[in-house]
Amino acid sequence: MARWLSLLGALARFSFGGARPATRLPRAGRDVVLRVTLNQIRFTAVHAIGLIVLLSGILSFLVISQAVRELGQIGATGLIGTLMVVAIVRELGPLITALAIVGRSGTAIAAELATNTVMGEVRALEGMGIDPRQYLVLPRFMGAMASLFSLLILFDVVAITAGFAAAAFNGMTGSRYAEIVLRSLSARDVWLTVAKALALGLIVGIVPSYFGLSVRRVATEVPVAVSRATVASIVGVFLCSALFVLLS
Amino acid sequence: MTAPLVFEAVPLNSRTRTPFTLSVAVHQTVAVLGDEASGVDRLGAFALGLEAPPGGRVLVLDTDLATLSDRQRLAFRRRVGYLPAGDGLIQNLSLRDNIALPLRFGSTSSPRDIDGRVNVIVVAVRLGGAADRRPAQANEEECRRAALARAMAFDPMVLVLEQPFDGVTARAAAELLEIARGGETAEGARRTILIVGQEIPAVVQRRCDRLYRLTRAGSLELETV
Repeated sequence: MARWLSLLGALARFSFGGARPATRLPRAGRDVVLRVTLNQIRFTAVHAIGLIVLLSGILSFLVISQAVRELGQIGATGLIGTLMVVAIVRELGPLITALAIVGRSGTAIAAELATNTVMGEVRALEGMGIDPRQYLVLPRFMGAMASLFSLLILFDVVAITAGFAAAAFNGMTGSRYAEIVLRSLSARDVWLTVAKALALGLIVGIVPSYFGLSVRRVATEVPVAVSRATVASIVGVFLCSALFVLLS
Repeated sequence: MTAPLVFEAVPLNSRTRTPFTLSVAVHQTVAVLGDEASGVDRLGAFALGLEAPPGGRVLVLDTDLATLSDRQRLAFRRRVGYLPAGDGLIQNLSLRDNIALPLRFGSTSSPRDIDGRVNVIVVAVRLGGAADRRPAQANEEECRRAALARAMAFDPMVLVLEQPFDGVTARAAAELLEIARGGETAEGARRTILIVGQEIPAVVQRRCDRLYRLTRAGSLELETV
């Protein structure tokens, strides 16, 4: 427990230390950070579109198909809206999107930064008077947040569309489906989703960066750092989701 | 003027009997060579404040880096050029972007001015057409030229070079040293240079004002060059 709390404190310091240098960047430095951030978004969000569409589509289609059949037998198809909004949009959407990004990009970020360290690039940056958090962490942190936010919107859109297809496939009219989903969706759900996307994006961007930069100068530490980053990110994502449930 | 680079009783490894003491005078090119066990590879890190010396103190341009905050230390390093062992070039940037990186993060110049300055440096180190290649696409000599160019991006008066001539021919090494010296003044080279490493070519040794061999026991032996 003490180890986890100490890790949490170290991550908080690291996050703050990563965000603070952003305010001190000169114009040319901001251009570099923006370019690296856009590159990160390309790898994290654009390249993951197919995966998210697949996961979201299949999950929603299966859940809504089963729900229409089972709930239809007891005349409770009105609950499909709640199922879609609460289970898929509010809970599973952020969770699955964050886990997909941890698997695809979190591991890549940890491996890349660990390799940067082992190759002496981080030391070289420090030697040149560049804060490695400005050049390496800040763009990944911003890229991960922006990517998770966009992919989450995509997940929700695809989930609702696939749910529509599943409902139609199982004999429910489109207007009925739209009516019950829209009735269950509130502004609070939208804000919760946005808040979750930002919080999970923070975890997915910061945790792998922290573990990636924590290696020293031995190549054998790279896989260990990647493994630790993945485990800590997954635990963080689940804990954060649980925290939102408790607070909401 | 006091020496821009001073090591005062710095222990380099646990086996050394005598702590390391050295003063690099202004306009001088000094090389300290020794095998890995001598701890010579830590001198660059101490001089840049990348590692805190376990004892003694290191003064760079009359400043004890150990007394500075992390932020001040980062800013201070822009006054000292540093070529780390193994060049430390960022692999996913072109050599040109590697050279521009310290200027982009450490100066308030416009991107256009920075590009202009980088073009001048690229010509000065004779990088030519290789400037747009990434380190993995360039040869060892081109990478060394780029790493030296990056170390000189702010036109520092003090340069710390770690194993700068590994993997390059004696002729290229001599040329790199001349570029690093930055021309001659009545007192000697324009820049003050500390070279650390295990060995340097004879032609470079002859261009050094002082050459020391560091023994495993930590004693510093002056070699005639």
